[in-house]
Amino acid sequence: MTPIVWTYFTYLLISVSLTVWVAKTLYKNGRIFLVDTFRGNEPLADSINHLLVVGFYLINIGYVSLALREVQMPVDLQGVLETLSRKVGVVLLVLGGMHFFNLLVFSKMRKRVLLHRLPPPLPPQTQVPVAAG
Amino acid sequence: MKRLFVLFDGECALCGRCREWLARQPAFLELEFIPFQSPEVRARFPGIEALHPEEQLLVVSDEGAVYRGPQAWIMCLYALREYRAWSQRLAHPALLPWARRVCELLSENRLQVSRWMKLEALRLDPTR
Repeated sequence: MTPIVWTYFTYLLISVSLTVWVAKTLYKNGRIFLVDTFRGNEPLADSINHLLVVGFYLINIGYVSLALREVQMPVDLQGVLETLSRKVGVVLLVLGGMHFFNLLVFSKMRKRVLLHRLPPPLPPQTQVPVAAG
Repeated sequence: MKRLFVLFDGECALCGRCREWLARQPAFLELEFIPFQSPEVRARFPGIEALHPEEQLLVVSDEGAVYRGPQAWIMCLYALREYRAWSQRLAHPALLPWARRVCELLSENRLQVSRWMKLEALRLDPTR
């Protein structure tokens, strides 16, 4: 096998395992957050969590495969390492961006739900009887 | 609390505009607008005249809780999906006096402000 094929294989291995690791972290820790947001409604929290993680996988693995092709062919080990490092670095940044985006989605959802449950900000000044109608 | 009744001045153009704006917003609580001049007000809330709905905006919840003036405005914001966070901010002791001052100024001069803004007075029509 040529050095570029080695680079590709290693790149795929590292990027996909990193994606799986980040997705698992997101899945595990996001679940607690979502269950609390949806007042203990676990099926709903699990469903939303799952949908988010699927989107996360699709975008990341999609990016990883799109960014696979390399124009400059590395000829020796140094070249392989440099190319690999650059490619994996970009994948890491994309993963980081996606991860923070997910956190943003979680916190937005939570804020929305908390707002819905908020009691009136002020006590009433007085009380009147209300006729049915 | 599921619904708020907003008792506004049906003869004031500015109030009519505010009502139209409020009615357009997505809301957590149902808002029902009744001009205080309408006989429906007295039928629905016996004894409400004692609270002078002609002086300041009144908001009454379906449970009979009454909010007047600035508090009523804040409750209107509280009903709205996009402005509930603002109702919390304005109700804070640091901001409430300012909210009160602005509301009083607007309430007292509502007819004049309507004239300045060249808003046409809406006809008194409780079905609208």
